[in-house]
Amino acid sequence: MKKYTLWIAGGLGALLLLLVPLYFKSTFVLHIYTLTFFYIGLTAAWNIMAYGGNLSLGHASFFAIGAYVGALLYVKLGISPWIGLTGAVAASFVGGMILSMPLIRLRGPFFTLATIAFTEVLRLIAIDWRDLTHGSAGLNIPFDLGWLNLTFKSGAPFYYIALALAVGSVWLSRWVRYSALGYHLRAAASDDQAAEALGVDFNLVQITALLISATLTAVLGLFYAFYSYVLEPATLFSFELFSLQPALNAIIGGMGTVWGPVIGAVFMTPLGEFLRFYLGTIQQGLNYVVYGIILIMTVRFFPGGILSLLTPLGVRFKRWIGDTGDNQ
Amino acid sequence: MLNLKGIDCFYGDFQVLRDLSLKVEAGQIVALLGPNAAGKSSTLAAISGALPYTKGEINFCEKPIKGIKPEKVVDLGIALVPEGRKLFQTLTVRENLELGAYSRHAREKRGKTLQQVYELFPVLKDRSSQTAGSLSGGEQQMCAIGRGLMAQPRLLMIDEMSLGLSPILAKQMFTMVQEIAAIGITIFLVEQQVHHTMRVADYTYIIEKGHITMSGPTKEIAANEHVKKTYLGM
Amino acid sequence: MDFYIQVLISGLLLGGIYALISIGLNLIFGVVRILNFAHGELVMLAMYGTFWLYKLYDLDPYLSLVVVLPAMFLFGVVLQRFILQPVLTTSGVMKMFTTVGISILMQNLALILWKGDFRAVQTFYSMSTIKFSGLIISIPRLVAFGAALLSIILLYLFLKYTYVGKALRAIVEDHATARLMGITVERHYLLAFGLGALFSALGGTLMMPFSSVYPTIGGPFTALAFVIVVLGGLGSMGGTFLAGLFIGVIEAFAGTFVSPGLKEAIYFVIFLLVLMVRPQGLFGMGRGTEEIGLK
Ligand SMILES: Nc1ncnc2c1ncn2[C@@H]1O[C@H](COP(=O)(O)OP(=O)(O)OP(=O)(O)O)[C@@H](O)[C@H]1O
Ligand SMILES: [Mg+2]
Repeated sequence: MKKYTLWIAGGLGALLLLLVPLYFKSTFVLHIYTLTFFYIGLTAAWNIMAYGGNLSLGHASFFAIGAYVGALLYVKLGISPWIGLTGAVAASFVGGMILSMPLIRLRGPFFTLATIAFTEVLRLIAIDWRDLTHGSAGLNIPFDLGWLNLTFKSGAPFYYIALALAVGSVWLSRWVRYSALGYHLRAAASDDQAAEALGVDFNLVQITALLISATLTAVLGLFYAFYSYVLEPATLFSFELFSLQPALNAIIGGMGTVWGPVIGAVFMTPLGEFLRFYLGTIQQGLNYVVYGIILIMTVRFFPGGILSLLTPLGVRFKRWIGDTGDNQ
Repeated sequence: MLNLKGIDCFYGDFQVLRDLSLKVEAGQIVALLGPNAAGKSSTLAAISGALPYTKGEINFCEKPIKGIKPEKVVDLGIALVPEGRKLFQTLTVRENLELGAYSRHAREKRGKTLQQVYELFPVLKDRSSQTAGSLSGGEQQMCAIGRGLMAQPRLLMIDEMSLGLSPILAKQMFTMVQEIAAIGITIFLVEQQVHHTMRVADYTYIIEKGHITMSGPTKEIAANEHVKKTYLGM
Repeated sequence: MDFYIQVLISGLLLGGIYALISIGLNLIFGVVRILNFAHGELVMLAMYGTFWLYKLYDLDPYLSLVVVLPAMFLFGVVLQRFILQPVLTTSGVMKMFTTVGISILMQNLALILWKGDFRAVQTFYSMSTIKFSGLIISIPRLVAFGAALLSIILLYLFLKYTYVGKALRAIVEDHATARLMGITVERHYLLAFGLGALFSALGGTLMMPFSSVYPTIGGPFTALAFVIVVLGGLGSMGGTFLAGLFIGVIEAFAGTFVSPGLKEAIYFVIFLLVLMVRPQGLFGMGRGTEEIGLK
């Protein structure tokens, strides 16, 4: 019975989302939706690491790796981004392996610092390597229409691509959460001695999560590059946009849960764009002032995020959607 | 002097103390004995204000001390010598002792108290400029007790003083405790070292699974069959 | 050869200031156990303070210390009391997120209030130098180094010999036990944060005669301070001082021999390497570091 209503609600929601591009011709509205889907994906990807208690402030690195690898393969060698995806995944996998080296010895805030340092190194290299990246000026992806080139006349195709990516990311995150991996990650997060005694290798578990999270983020980065056309280090490696924002979304929605990141992204992305367009144009920096305040207030007043605020409503909702909610 | 009435205490869902009541009379040496994980250290933590309790009350000199923070409890005249000494390893012996007198009432008199502690434990004077981390186990325990005395307590609580000490050293330490009591400081001893404790204690409580299962003048407790079997190995 | 010595000296002079700023970070970290991501913004704020006192009241940068230092001490105390103290019991990362929020807030408030322009103070001694057997040494930089050295020594003496200083060191080692001694831990946190802010402010003001300030200048200082603190060892003031000098020299040489764009990358690589190889730093404490994520 519960499953039944769930499927109907989900089906209706999906249908509505599928119809959006047919009703809203405004590119701005479509853009907000598309961006929200990207952020749902990014936040879900970020959150996979958070299951294990590791909070990254360096996911911009993987995002940019995916974007640069996919776009450069296309721009320099003419390789279709669909094939370039493998390159993006491979490169981010290597990046993830490198970042997992400090992870073996660090937890908590120091691991977070390491993710920042890692991203900074890549960002500085990207700016310095002018032959490849055209430095801080950046380079454009040529406008050459076609599915193979991921270049479209209207915003609708990317709307659907981003929607699919969001659904896929959440599905993956949910799958991880309820798999043995997710169980071990939560054991690692709470430093469960019993699990370790049973032979669960916490390092291996955390590194696996990091690699899944990194490659998924890179895939999103690749599509985002073709969505935005412009490849510049200042944007792709942006601390605020792609390192802090997913973390903030997750914290605000409810970190370490499946649906918290979705709620956070759905709430924060339109708000962020609104603040950027309205406050940011009144006064440069004002939107980030609001962000800073939101961050401070969230940690202080509801560190469990929106999802925890919705309790006991949330408990019922989670039970209804089949999320047992036994998060850390 | 110290009176615990019906204390319930939790770590999350786990109840560590159950309806625990005990009294420490002024001028006595009172012992709290029990097996591992019985809740002995937790009892001391509750008294010193480090562990909140959900039910019951604790009075010190007829005044309730519930909700008073640890740094203020020591002002009242209750000092705790924690389990495992917990000395400030990188600080010198003298600095450790001086810090023991940080509470308001002990601070001014710390020079004089220091001399008294040195008289009680002459070895600490010899080691005064050495870091606490470099002391031997026995010296560390003396330093920890000395640090507790620096607070000029009316009640000194010592948690597992004999832990890790050789039998001879442990015996000496218990004798020291008697000397301290002779100065007029009430002593609350938490121990697993049953023989020595029973030698010096006036009154004994037995704690098991967070609850006081037995209490009485030490002689009576020592004569009890159950205690003989489980604690004295007779 | 003279050229290398020249570079070495300017590196050491710079390193003194870096050490000063980093010692503030290390003090806050060691005592309060907060990784203060907004540390560079404290430097930025002090630099603006010095600038505006100069601009509006014609106050010499060195004289402005009389106003800037107490003000920044108070600012640090207020930050700790009203923003950080309430989240003290949350996890280390969450505390750090709060300081990330403070950093974003301060940076953008500075942008709104004072615009993105570079602001500099021009004093009669800004460009003055002394020449010494073929070497040219900038006087304000030399003054900054001297003042940095002096204040680090003062901090050392304070921690070593005063009663409050001893209490701070006890808290660094074990705050729970310090509490049992009757040490009012929260109040000492205020002191430590205030002092940390004061030291960064001193660094910022001392730099004003020969550098300029803009809203995002704090970021690199935060990064630098973290690199230095980790390299020198958490909780080790002497280590921080040496690491500060070391990084200053590295910066001076990197600025001359490596592409300037990659100069900063070198710090981060050092940072990552130290974290991977010896996370407790070169002279760091072992104890208490697990609690904040080093093993
Ligand atoms: N901080 C804590 N969080 C959760 N559980 C705790 C904590 N401290 C103690 N416990 C649990 O409470 C119980 C009693 O602990 P306590 O330290 O009071 O025992 P004890 O009698 O002092 O034991 P021992 O003789 O080994 O020192 C134990 O089961 C212990 O695991
Ligand atoms: Mg114990």
